[in-house]
Amino acid sequence: MESAQSSLFNVSIDFGTSHLFFPHIIHWILAILFAFILVLKVLPFLAAVRRGERTLPIIGEPMHVGLFIGTLVLIAAYFYLMGVVGELFPYTGLGFLFTSIVFVFLMSLMFMGRKSRRKVITALVNAIVAPTLAWFILGKLFYITLP
Amino acid sequence: MDILASLDFSFFLLAALGTLVGIIFGAIPGMTATMAVAVCLPLTYALGLEHGLALLLGLYVGGISGGMVPAVLLNIPGTPSSITTTFDGYPMAQKGEGERALKVCIVASLVGGLISAAVLFLFAPMLADFSIKFSYVEKFLIILLALTVIASLSSNMLVGVFSGVIGIWLSLIGTYSLSDGGNGKTRLMFDFLEPYLVDGFALLPVLIGIFGISTILLEAEKGVKGGLSGQSLKVGKEGHFSLGMFKGRLTNLVRSSFIGTFVGMLPGVGGSAASVLAYTQEKNLAKDSSQMGKGAPQGLIASESANNALTGGALIPLLSLGIPGDSTTAVLIGAFTLQGIQVGPLFIPENSATWYVMMVALVFANFVMFFLMFFAIKHIAKVVLVPKYILYPIIVMMCVVGAYAINYGIMFDVWTLLIFGVVGYLVQKIGLEVAPLIIGFILGGSAEVYFVKSLESFGTYSIFFTKSPIAMVLWGLIAASVIFAIVMEYKKRAQHRLEAAQ
Amino acid sequence: MSTPKNSFAFGMIASALAATLALGAGVAMAADGPLRGNVRVVIGSSSTGGDTYQNSSIVVDKLAEKLGVRMKVDAVGVSAAYRALDRDPRGNTLMIFHDQSYLGNLYGVEGYEDPFENYIIGPTIAINPGNAYLVPKDSPYQTLDDIIEAVGNGTTVRVAIQPGGVSEIGYTALKNAIRIEHPGKEDNLVAVNTGSQADKNQLLFDDQADLINGSVQANEQYTRLPEDDQKAMRFVWLTARNDTIQQAPESGLGETDRETLLQYVEPNVSVTMGDEDFTFDKEFFFLYNKDMDPAIVEQIDATLEEIYAEGEIQEEQKKSFFIPDFMPSDEALAHLKEKASRYEDIIDSLKK
Repeated sequence: MESAQSSLFNVSIDFGTSHLFFPHIIHWILAILFAFILVLKVLPFLAAVRRGERTLPIIGEPMHVGLFIGTLVLIAAYFYLMGVVGELFPYTGLGFLFTSIVFVFLMSLMFMGRKSRRKVITALVNAIVAPTLAWFILGKLFYITLP
Repeated sequence: MDILASLDFSFFLLAALGTLVGIIFGAIPGMTATMAVAVCLPLTYALGLEHGLALLLGLYVGGISGGMVPAVLLNIPGTPSSITTTFDGYPMAQKGEGERALKVCIVASLVGGLISAAVLFLFAPMLADFSIKFSYVEKFLIILLALTVIASLSSNMLVGVFSGVIGIWLSLIGTYSLSDGGNGKTRLMFDFLEPYLVDGFALLPVLIGIFGISTILLEAEKGVKGGLSGQSLKVGKEGHFSLGMFKGRLTNLVRSSFIGTFVGMLPGVGGSAASVLAYTQEKNLAKDSSQMGKGAPQGLIASESANNALTGGALIPLLSLGIPGDSTTAVLIGAFTLQGIQVGPLFIPENSATWYVMMVALVFANFVMFFLMFFAIKHIAKVVLVPKYILYPIIVMMCVVGAYAINYGIMFDVWTLLIFGVVGYLVQKIGLEVAPLIIGFILGGSAEVYFVKSLESFGTYSIFFTKSPIAMVLWGLIAASVIFAIVMEYKKRAQHRLEAAQ
Repeated sequence: MSTPKNSFAFGMIASALAATLALGAGVAMAADGPLRGNVRVVIGSSSTGGDTYQNSSIVVDKLAEKLGVRMKVDAVGVSAAYRALDRDPRGNTLMIFHDQSYLGNLYGVEGYEDPFENYIIGPTIAINPGNAYLVPKDSPYQTLDDIIEAVGNGTTVRVAIQPGGVSEIGYTALKNAIRIEHPGKEDNLVAVNTGSQADKNQLLFDDQADLINGSVQANEQYTRLPEDDQKAMRFVWLTARNDTIQQAPESGLGETDRETLLQYVEPNVSVTMGDEDFTFDKEFFFLYNKDMDPAIVEQIDATLEEIYAEGEIQEEQKKSFFIPDFMPSDEALAHLKEKASRYEDIIDSLKK
C-alpha cells in the first residue's frame, strides 16, 4: 500500500530539461480549460452571432478606427525614434527629451477633440514643460539612465 | 549612547524628505519604491549610515504608499503591490468618491505600517526563526493560496481561471533562470526572439502596459469626446470620509496588516503577493464581501494595510538573516554594504544603535506619510479633472520612463509596454479577465521555481501534503478558499436566475 | 489646425531643441581624450546590493573623477549588458563583470559566448576573496578532508550551489579531487541546484544539503551563532589563494580575523588538481566592445594605473572587503586566459 502510493506520486526531474517541466503542466491545464471554454462559451457565443443576437468583438463593433490606429502608430513611432535619436547623443537622455516633446504635443492634438487656440497653446506648453521637467529631475538630478 | 546623537534635526528632515520623494515616485505610474531607493542609494554614501537609512526608509514607506494614488484615480497601479487597490479604488473614484477612497487607503496604510513596525521591533529574531520553517514546499503552497484569489475574483470562474493560467504561462516565457537555481535554458519562444526575451517580460512594464496603455487604447477606440478624464466625476462631493468607515473593519485591518508583514517576511515570495493574499482572505472571511471589486472600502483596507505592512515585514529577514524580503530591501542591503556593515543574524545585537535609529526612522516616516498625504489628497484627487488630452500623453511618457528605468535602462522593457498594452486591449475585447491574468503573471514565476524545486528535492508529489504541519494548515486554507469561491459562484448564478425569472 | 499656430508650435519646439542641444553638447565637450560624452558602465548582475555593483561603483566613481566624464553604473544583468556592449563600439558603453563571463561559457550555459573571442578584455580591478563553503555547525564533518574521505567511502554528500558558474566551480573542483583520490567515487558528491544565498542557507536549515556554497560576507555572522541554533554554520573552505587572504585587513570581516580565515585556505585545506591545489579568486574586470578604439583601452589603463598609484582606492576597496588587484589590459588578458584554461581542464575531466 505504502509503496504503491509513493510510486504513484513519484517523479524524477532531469535537470537538463527541468525548464520544460512546469510549462508542460501549464500547457495541459490551458488545453483542458480551453476545451471547456470552447464548448461552454465560444460555441454558444458563435451561435448567437449567427442568429444576429451578438456581434464579434473588435471586428463587429463600431470603433473609431482613425484615432485607435493613430494612437498605436504614434506610440510605436515614439518608442522607435526614441532609441534612434538617443543613439545620436549617447546616454544624455536627449533622445527621450526630444521625441517626448514631439510625442506629447502630437498625442495631445489627437485627443483634443474640438480644437481651440487656447487648448493648443496649453497642449504646447505642456508638451515642452512636462518632458523637460521629467528629463531634468530624473535624468539630471537623479541620474536615471534615459534613452 | 550615540543614538540620540544621530537623531538630530537633519535626520528627521531627511526621513521626511525621503517620504515626500517616495510618495511622488510611487504616485507616478511606472515609478516604484524600489526605483526611488536605488536612485538615492549613491547619496547615502556621503550621508553616513544612520542619516542615509533615514532617507532610504522614508523613500521605501513613501514609495509603497504613493502607489495608491494612480491605482485609485487612474486605475493604473503605481507600484506592483497596489494592484488590488485598483479593484475597489477605481470603481469608487468613478462614483465620485476618489478622495474618500484615498483617505481610507491612507489610514489603512498608516495602520499597516505601524503594526508591521511594531512586529519588526518586538519579534524580529523570533519571526526570522519561524520564517526559515518555510521551505520550497510551504512557499509554493503560499503562492497557490494567493492564486486561489483568481477563482473568487473573476466574474465568471471558468474564464477567470483560464485568464489566470494564461498569465502564468506568460510569466514563464524567458529563461528558467540560473539565479533561481534553474538550468538557464530558454523556453516558450522562437529562436529569433531570444536576444529580446531571455529575461522574459519584466513585471512592471507588463503591469503598466496592461493597465495604462490598454486603457488609452480603449479610450482611443471610443473616439474623442473632448471630456475630462474623469468625465462625470464629482470630486469629493459624495460621501465624506470619516473614521466611522472603519467601524466593523478592525479585524480586516489588523488581519491584513499581519498578512502583509508575514508575506514580507518570507524571502522570495514577493511583495505583490502580500496585498493579493490579504485581499483573498478578506474576500473569503468577511461576512459580506459581495461588493468587493465593485467599490467596497473593505477591499482598499485589505490591500493598502497589507502593502504598507510589507515594509516592516521585509525588513525582518533583512536585519535578522541578512536576506532581503522583497525587491526594495534587496536594494537597501547596498546601503549597509556600502558602509561596510554586514547584515546577518547578529546585526541587531551588534548594531543596536543603528537598529533603534532605523525603527525611529520607520515609524516617523509612516507618520510623515500620513500627514503629507491626508492633507494633500484633496488636491491630488483633482488629477482626474485634468483633460485627457493633457493627461494621457503624460501618462504614456511617464510609463516609458518607468519601464525603461526599472531594470536600469533596457529598451525592450519599453516595447513590452506597447506589447502588453495591445495584449490588455485584446484580452478585454474578447472577454477574458485582466485582474486574474495579471495575478497569474505576478505569481507564476515563483510558483514554478518552488514547485519544481520541491519535486527535485523530494522526488514525490505527496510531499506537498506531508511535508509539515504548516503545509497541512495551508492546504486547509487553500481548500476553504476554493470552496468559498465555488459557493459564491453558485449563489451568484442562483441570484441571476431569480432576477431573470422576475 | 490653422497654419500660424503650426508655425508657432514649430518655432517653440525648434528653440527648445536648440537650447537643450547646446546644453547636451556642453556636457559632451567637457572631457578631452578619446573617451568622450556620457559613459554607461553596464554590469553582469542585476542587483545593486551585490559585490559586482559595489566594486564597480568604487572604481567607476574614481575613474569618472579622474577622466572628467560623466559615468554611471547600471545593473542590467548579463544578457542585457552584453547586448548593450555589442551595440556600441564608440566606447560610451563599457562593462564590468567577473569570472562568471568565461565560466558560464565553459559550463555551456545558454547566452554565454566566449568572452576572449567576442570582447576586448580590459583591466582587472579587484578580487572578492569571500567565496566559501560551509557546513552546519553540528555537522559530523569537521574539515573538507572529512568530506572527501566520507564520499570516498561511499557516503552521499549533497552540495547546494547555483549552477553554471562561480558558485559551481568549487564544487566541480571538489568532485575532481575526489575523482583523483578515490576514482569512481566522485558521483557520491551530488549538486543540489538552487538560486540565491537565501535558498542555499534554507537547504542547509532544512537538512536538504550537507554542504553549501556561500561567502564570508554573507555567512560570517551565521558562523558565530551558538551551536544549538538551527541557523549556525561553520566554514570548511575558502577557495581564495593564500596570498589573496594575506592581503585582507588584519581584522578580517566582522569578528572573524584574517588569522582565522587563513585556516580555511590552501595549504591548510587542500583540494587537489593532481599536481597542485585548486584555488579560485573571484576577479572583477572590464570588458569592451570588440571594435572599440584601442586608444580608449589605453586611456582607461593609464588612468587606472594613476588611480591605483595614488593608493586611496585600495583603502576603499579593503574597507568593503575587496582585495585590490589592478592589472592593465594585456596582462589581465593573459592572466584570465590562463586561469580559464585551468578550469576548463577540470570541467572537462568530469564530463563523460
